[in-house]
Amino acid sequence: MSRLLLLLITSSATLLVFGLWIPLKAVVAQELLAIAWAESQARQTESRPWPWADTWPVAKLSMPELGDSMIVLAGVHGESLAFGPGQMMGLEDQQGSVIIAGHRDTHFRPLQYLEPGNELQLQNRDGQWQGYRVQETRIVDSRSEFIDTHKLPAGTLLLVTCYPFDTMDAGGPLRFVVEARAEGVQTSGVLSQSASGKIHTVAGL
Amino acid sequence: MMFSAIASKYSAFPFSLSPPSQAAGSPPETRCRYIPVRSAPPSMAPHGFGRGASRSGGLGAWRSHRVRRFMEGVSLWMAMLLVLFVQPIYAEANTGNEDSAGVLHFVDGKGQWQEPALVLGSDFDVRVSGLIADSTLVRTFRNTSDQWREGVFVFPLPEKASVYGLTMKVGERTIVGEVQPRAEAKKTYEKARDSGRHAATVEQQRPNLFTTRVANIPPGETVSVELNYQQLVSYRDGVFELTVPTTLTPRYMPGEPLAARPQEWQGGWAVPTTEVPDADAISPFTVDVDDVAADSHRASVRFTIDAGLPLARVSSPSHELASRQDGQVMMVQPQAGEIVMNRDFVLRWQPLAGQEPGAAVFHQQWEGEDYLLAMVVPGRAGKTRLPRELTFVIDTSGSMAGESIQQAREALQLGLETLAPGDRFNVIQFNSQPHALFVQPEQATANNLARARQYVSRLKADGGTEMASALTMALESQRMSADEFSEGTSPEASSRVRQVVFMTDGAVGNESALFSQIRRQLSDQRLFTVAIGSAPNRHFMREAARWGRGSYTAVQDPADISGPLVRLFAAMEAPVLTDIEVSWPSLSASMQEDSFPRRPGDLFQGEPLLQVVRGVPPVGELSVSGRLPGGAIWQKSLDLQQAASGTGLNRYWAREKIDSLLDEARIAGEEPDKARVTSLAVEHSLMSPYTSFVAVDKTPARDPESALVKDQLPTLLPAGSQPGMARYPQTATVAPLLVALGLLGLMFSVAIVLLRRRAYL
Repeated sequence: MSRLLLLLITSSATLLVFGLWIPLKAVVAQELLAIAWAESQARQTESRPWPWADTWPVAKLSMPELGDSMIVLAGVHGESLAFGPGQMMGLEDQQGSVIIAGHRDTHFRPLQYLEPGNELQLQNRDGQWQGYRVQETRIVDSRSEFIDTHKLPAGTLLLVTCYPFDTMDAGGPLRFVVEARAEGVQTSGVLSQSASGKIHTVAGL
Repeated sequence: MMFSAIASKYSAFPFSLSPPSQAAGSPPETRCRYIPVRSAPPSMAPHGFGRGASRSGGLGAWRSHRVRRFMEGVSLWMAMLLVLFVQPIYAEANTGNEDSAGVLHFVDGKGQWQEPALVLGSDFDVRVSGLIADSTLVRTFRNTSDQWREGVFVFPLPEKASVYGLTMKVGERTIVGEVQPRAEAKKTYEKARDSGRHAATVEQQRPNLFTTRVANIPPGETVSVELNYQQLVSYRDGVFELTVPTTLTPRYMPGEPLAARPQEWQGGWAVPTTEVPDADAISPFTVDVDDVAADSHRASVRFTIDAGLPLARVSSPSHELASRQDGQVMMVQPQAGEIVMNRDFVLRWQPLAGQEPGAAVFHQQWEGEDYLLAMVVPGRAGKTRLPRELTFVIDTSGSMAGESIQQAREALQLGLETLAPGDRFNVIQFNSQPHALFVQPEQATANNLARARQYVSRLKADGGTEMASALTMALESQRMSADEFSEGTSPEASSRVRQVVFMTDGAVGNESALFSQIRRQLSDQRLFTVAIGSAPNRHFMREAARWGRGSYTAVQDPADISGPLVRLFAAMEAPVLTDIEVSWPSLSASMQEDSFPRRPGDLFQGEPLLQVVRGVPPVGELSVSGRLPGGAIWQKSLDLQQAASGTGLNRYWAREKIDSLLDEARIAGEEPDKARVTSLAVEHSLMSPYTSFVAVDKTPARDPESALVKDQLPTLLPAGSQPGMARYPQTATVAPLLVALGLLGLMFSVAIVLLRRRAYL
């Protein structure tokens, strides 16, 4: 009997520890990432936060109203999302839009408090800050709706996380999407290029 | 309710990342109420759990009492934590902002996935006689809910199908539908629906895409809708082929969203755009097989093939077959019984070697008129190979993700192998924008080919399907380089055969505009289409090839890729029969208009010539002539008296006539003659862009008090394909679940400890 009890207690405690480990990892990793981010800004290269990492910092996202900021990693695979929000599509992808996804249990939990009109800021590796203004927040069903990357207006920032925020189901279909639009003129040429319409990829035609 | 407010506003998780203070909406005293409780347990903390304490006399008893109280306090606390933790699952319905949620069809107010209440069953019964396949498709809509339902289902049919009948069955009653002009049919249906009567309608959205609506399906009952359609069996290189499409690849809708409409997902997942105003009507929700009921979206398929000649073999590249021969008649069924409706069913049959038909004539009398259908297969011409300029265009849009892009890459590699020294080539990939490998077509040198191979092997599927710009790049760049050469005084170069091979799944909504564009930009080039994937848009593939004066090939599955492609590339190399003339006996000049196709297109190796005519009795001889490459004249005549009797020829003729009227309008760049198409379709009882079928019961079944709920049935995601465009990533961790389980387990343990303590007392 007491053995069973012990087993129950240990396994529950293990579960609890594993459950708490995930958010802890997310917090600790951000600290390490901040160092790597500073390094990649200084050297202007992809700098990996630890030698065996398969992702690297690509931007810094700041939510001034919520007093929160975080380092954004490349890619949205499980590995990168465990340590920070991941960039699905960035400015270098020609579309002029940025899509960032993050875990609703960790980094992107504060997203639920964002409201239209709030400010977002994104810093690229050159150290430039681009301001965004939240346009709307909405809930989508990821099975029936896709991110139509082509239709996104130039200068859009999409933040994606799982929805609802307080559920235990990790595989739910709903997503919470924050859509923000760039403010002011961006110095990089990418935006103006896609804003002007068609891009003729082949020179001389 | 208070819990709910707290749980949703403040994280119940002890480890939450600092929720911002200003976002806290609830009054501060709500929080304060918890503080005293929270501070209580630590004051009891110094006391141990030891069992020994309970045995040590009065003081011990008092102590153990306190310990027990403390333990009870702890477990209460844990229970509270757990409640806080679990509670949001039930409360989440309140947190969603429903106005901006884009109305999720299969998701209820709590955000939970709802299976559609209607279970869809399909039964295809296909009877092939000679060249015509006549199909009966029964769709059953079983209502599993306790409300009255209206079912809406968007489904594909073969691209050249002529739909000629609709019958609705409710219980014992059978109601035969009729053809009505589209708007009228819609009105008839809506009136019947609102008055509570059983009603069904089918309308055409695209030549291969239809919508069926079934009103007032009683709770717990089944309504079935029977559709009759016929199509011509395709015959090429001595092989007959028939396709039963079961689902569609989600289509890309180019253009800007129409701002006037509210952003609601009424008809489908797409919103109408400037280029595709009916985008919502052709974009049914696409779901995974697991997301529908286990017996929904399954189809039984039966083929009865009476080819009129002994068959060597029946095969299918898409499904395993179980076939049974009965004299000359072949009965074919899929081995697995019911098939999942997530890939096209393709059936091929082959006559015995040496018995392949070289010509065939069918005759039918319908309402006093003679109808003749003739098929002639030109013999094989000798090979005279001309230097070519070949442009491969490959679709790398999001809808190609998965198996499709692999197939396309393989197909392209195969195509590159057919290039010979002296040929010029280029590779263009497109998604949201086109991108060419070379600025202009280059010589097929080993070096360039190696570059192309590498380029192709690295192609990835992602993004939109902007075909227009890709077609422009392919068709215009070739023309450009040709102009250069004609100026550059190279007579050899101008004699090059210029061809474009277009590999895609055709998942676009603006087909019509693209056909017009192909016609405009084609000049002396030829466009060949290769359909990729489990459920390509065959209408697009066939028509694009027809407007591009080429031919169309479908690749079924990875194992089947080389066969059809080798035939295509062989056909492209071999010369074609051009300037085809068909002359029917005893046909006056005015009647000549009733022979279709009006101007037969050029034929490729292995392709038959098909002609259908009205008003010609089966006497005399049909003579067909054409020009072989090199200028030689090819001629053949057919004795019409030997015509076998056929059925459904009048419908085939009427469909061809309607298509020809629509073609003429496109060439002239004006609106089609709606009235003429409508009267033709009504006369032959056919579905067309302007006519729909509708069946209405006489007596009302649903009393107006009970509500009618609309159910948009989803279609299945084609097998092997990944959901199109950019998918939303998975962005949740198992942390909450683990924490909850851990807390639950600990609480249980404490409860057990407490119980045991009581037992000892």
